[in-house]
Amino acid sequence: MFQLISDGGCDFTKEEVQKHNIDIIPFYVMLDGNTYLKEGVDITKDEYFKRLKEDKNLFPKTAQPNPQDYVDIYTPHLKAGKDIISLTISSKFSGTYNSATLAASMVKEDYPDRTIIVIDSLNCAIGQGLILKEMIKMRDKGFSITKTAELAEEIIKTVKIYFSLDTLEYLKKGGRVGPTTALVGGLLGLRPILHIVDGAVEQLDSVRGKDRVLALIEEGIVAALKDEVQNINLSVGHILREEDAVNFKASLEKSLGTKIENPVVEVGATIGTHAGPGALAIAYCKKYETFVK
Amino acid sequence: MNNWFILAQVLGVITIIFEFTSYQIKNKSKYFLTTGIGSFFWLTMFFSVGMATGMDTQISLMVAASYSTVRNLVFWKIFAKNTPQSKEIGLNFLLIMIGVALVAGVLSIINAPEQVRWLHTLGMIAALSFVIGQYLPGVHYVRITVTFYAIIVILTQTPLNILYGDFRWNIMGIAIEVAKIVSVIVFYIRFSKNPKQPQLQFAKP
Repeated sequence: MFQLISDGGCDFTKEEVQKHNIDIIPFYVMLDGNTYLKEGVDITKDEYFKRLKEDKNLFPKTAQPNPQDYVDIYTPHLKAGKDIISLTISSKFSGTYNSATLAASMVKEDYPDRTIIVIDSLNCAIGQGLILKEMIKMRDKGFSITKTAELAEEIIKTVKIYFSLDTLEYLKKGGRVGPTTALVGGLLGLRPILHIVDGAVEQLDSVRGKDRVLALIEEGIVAALKDEVQNINLSVGHILREEDAVNFKASLEKSLGTKIENPVVEVGATIGTHAGPGALAIAYCKKYETFVK
Repeated sequence: MNNWFILAQVLGVITIIFEFTSYQIKNKSKYFLTTGIGSFFWLTMFFSVGMATGMDTQISLMVAASYSTVRNLVFWKIFAKNTPQSKEIGLNFLLIMIGVALVAGVLSIINAPEQVRWLHTLGMIAALSFVIGQYLPGVHYVRITVTFYAIIVILTQTPLNILYGDFRWNIMGIAIEVAKIVSVIVFYIRFSKNPKQPQLQFAKP
């Protein structure tokens, strides 16, 4: 048995972390310009986004876990004779992958016989969460660390994640859209849809109308997945938009004719700072079983 | 009938081919490239007519055609790049284009005889909505607004008469506008026959 570790980008709940016996290394968020808080430890996602929504002038910063954070989590497992797989948020978003890799090389000096595999998810939020969930299933089935890592790399190639944003305001604050685009897009009621391509965020399209965007996303998802829905693991996430997310999930289950096992997830600060309150996310990937001959 | 006039007719036919083709294309950047090339031939058509009949009558039409060509080709580059920076530049460019069309439209309304001012006002609204429709996402806005614009232009009996200010029959100009309307109709016939495609294309895992 090996230990699975992820950064906080995977958006696992505390209950999921305990149930699946994994370790989460939180990101840091700074709201007041002075103090960094550990997300999910010093401040909940809900509190974080409520403050973001209430204070329009607030533009928080996020920071990656440092190598020492990883060393502190790695060491007890290595001491107990366990190997480790460490999954990180896309290296194109954050230096977390570097922190995890650096920490691995540091602890390897003391535990040369142990295996530590660091995997770049090339994803974030519920996309990263799906990869972790597939890895948990493999671990629980008794797969070796190398087989799990090898299949995880295959799964990563299949992960797709889309975000429907309620406003362009946070993209403007993060410098992802210009002021004119934000102003005109806001006047026209445009809602951008973002996705991740090769580990980086890109805009897929824009759609007018809050309800219309969800209907179009559902239509697009059904068209993409209907032929192989039994091979797909799917997850829905949101930022301060739980009711819509739950309804969207129910509607999607009906359209796809299948139950979505994963609960609706509240997306964290790393991507949420750029997406802002009101965002809705959907991610899917192939199940590990589709790669097992 | 001199050679310049014959050349103008040939250029007009080439314009029709490109304009017709452009409204069969769903991809935004390819649409702008095709319609941009069409606008360029449209410009050269006015130039050839000018060489045949005198340039003074064609200058305002050439200015308008140049405006279309530059706008379409700039939008082509912007949509082909599809980065936040290019979009920001594109939107600023769009606002400038709207400003130019607004000023030109208001001037033409002011200078027009009172009995045809309504037509000039409609022309300005049609031109502005078309420019905005071209920029908006999806395949429908641009086709709806170009149809409205083409009808208004045909109503004036001579394309871009709203800028020029007199009434003349211009068969080739009308044919170009009719080609756009026919192309939109053909597009929707094809659209209705094809299995319905989702507006948002999501990748398979």
